[in-house]
Amino acid sequence: MTHQGRELMVGTLARVEGEGAMRVVVRDGQVSDVQLRIYEPPRFFEAFLRGRSYTEPPDLTSRICGICPVAYEMSACQAIEAACGVTIPEQIRLMRRLLYCGEWIESHTLHVYLLHAPDFLGYPGAIEMAKDHRDLVERGLRLKKAGNALMTLVGGRAVHPVNVRVGGFYRFPTRSELGALRPQLARALDDALATVSMAAGFEFPELDQDYEYVALRTDHDYPIETGTFVTSSGRTFGVDAFDTWVTEEQVPHSHALHAHLRDTGPYVVGPLARYSLNHDLLPPTARQAADAAGLGPTCRNPFRSIVVRAVEIVAACEEALRIIDGWSDGGAPSVPVPARAGTGHGATEAPRGVLYHRYELAADGTVLDARIVPPTSQNQAGIEHDLRDFVQARLDLDTEELTRQCEQAIRNYDPCISCATHFLDLTVEEA
Amino acid sequence: MSALVVGIGNRLRGDDAVGPEVAARVAQLGLPDVDVVEQDEPLTLIDLMADHDVVVVVDATGPRGHPGSVQVCQVGSGRLRRDAPALGSHGLGVAETVELARALGRLPQRLTLVGLEARSFSPGASMSAPVRDRLDDAVRAVVDALAVVDR
Repeated sequence: MTHQGRELMVGTLARVEGEGAMRVVVRDGQVSDVQLRIYEPPRFFEAFLRGRSYTEPPDLTSRICGICPVAYEMSACQAIEAACGVTIPEQIRLMRRLLYCGEWIESHTLHVYLLHAPDFLGYPGAIEMAKDHRDLVERGLRLKKAGNALMTLVGGRAVHPVNVRVGGFYRFPTRSELGALRPQLARALDDALATVSMAAGFEFPELDQDYEYVALRTDHDYPIETGTFVTSSGRTFGVDAFDTWVTEEQVPHSHALHAHLRDTGPYVVGPLARYSLNHDLLPPTARQAADAAGLGPTCRNPFRSIVVRAVEIVAACEEALRIIDGWSDGGAPSVPVPARAGTGHGATEAPRGVLYHRYELAADGTVLDARIVPPTSQNQAGIEHDLRDFVQARLDLDTEELTRQCEQAIRNYDPCISCATHFLDLTVEEA
Repeated sequence: MSALVVGIGNRLRGDDAVGPEVAARVAQLGLPDVDVVEQDEPLTLIDLMADHDVVVVVDATGPRGHPGSVQVCQVGSGRLRRDAPALGSHGLGVAETVELARALGRLPQRLTLVGLEARSFSPGASMSAPVRDRLDDAVRAVVDALAVVDR
């Protein structure tokens, strides 16, 4: 084997949600081709939603992903309410934010502790890591359980919450029920701060990428359940303009579509984008933790995404405590959403980045058309860009080590393949 | 002793519905002192198992040319391979979750995995006929696993 011409093919990409494939071709000492192959099922869910009642998409789309069901529910509710011309009251927005905090805690903790930390601590996976770092893994599981408890109380069930409906919730938890979670969440906040310290102590490969970042932003809070679009080059647009700013193109090696931003090209969504475009909106403890971790106001090294995720776990715990402490019983858990003909758009910040939904409704509320753009498909071009630069700078490594590092580079994005696809192989071939 | 049956899978992905469907059928039997839950994130098993002495996990296994074949695996001292029964289509799979629980000393007294081999995980498809025809065999395997111990 020479290092001048080879092809890295990895058939099963471990520790990503779903399964995937990577192919990197090196010719004459240059990386000539990088393909992250994502085999997306035919846009099944979009077709599946056509003809359904406008009340159904939150529940149906929540079943696309076992890791981020709340994100699907929240983007769907927002889009349908927009189509029907309904604005939800502040109290319902806050309860949605609280539920979403549970999902951020759970999803980020799973990735940080069980999928990503083994890369930095030199273990093939969480099982081997647990034998030497039991306390660390127990902390991760405890933190994840706190997120789970929040999702169970507010959502009605930890996975696929059943308490969510278009217009709000079937039932609000009471102030007393929420208060009972407080000690667990206070402990979770401490665990989250310890998580930031842990992640900040890892060693990070050098890789600074000049991406266009895209995230939501609000004028009041770190973006989770609502916002309008901002980009790192200063563009701003409303959720209802997403379709005119983002186009999806078919690429030959993937069934998933590659997303492009108008006048810009590929872009990246997710924790790094969110953080870099909203650092000033982090709640105080999260911001202090970010500063102490040496993050600075922007972060452009995808390997440091583990630190940013840890900071976002702090933010989610902090926000959850703030909402619980300020909660008053007595508000209506939902508002009426009468059907009408129209098109509505919804975008929220799933743990992995912006999740966009659009629904076109008939006058009786029948779904005529649906479009869902998950974060992983938006990031696919960015991941390939990372791999190209990353491999080019490391051609002296043997294939096994280079492949391992490529897998780590892909895990930086916590790609949720089941959102965008079902099967994925990671392949590294000799050319 | 308390017992738990967990059906892992996603009802909207073809034969991945095996776990939830078998769990639902077991629940209909109304067995005393048996809790039954459906899950599509295997990692939740770690916390679920902690509260029970006897646990049976049901999941679809990956297609290997014998759709509908039922495998029963009593978790003992041997380490499960990643492609052991109950792999399914999930990120951190059932086998990995079991091994993580073992590494943390959190395995229940008795843990049984029941796998029903899938033909396809196509989104939106219903369960394939050979898999659907063997669902009751998987239900029996679950009941047998529960009955082995004197609860």
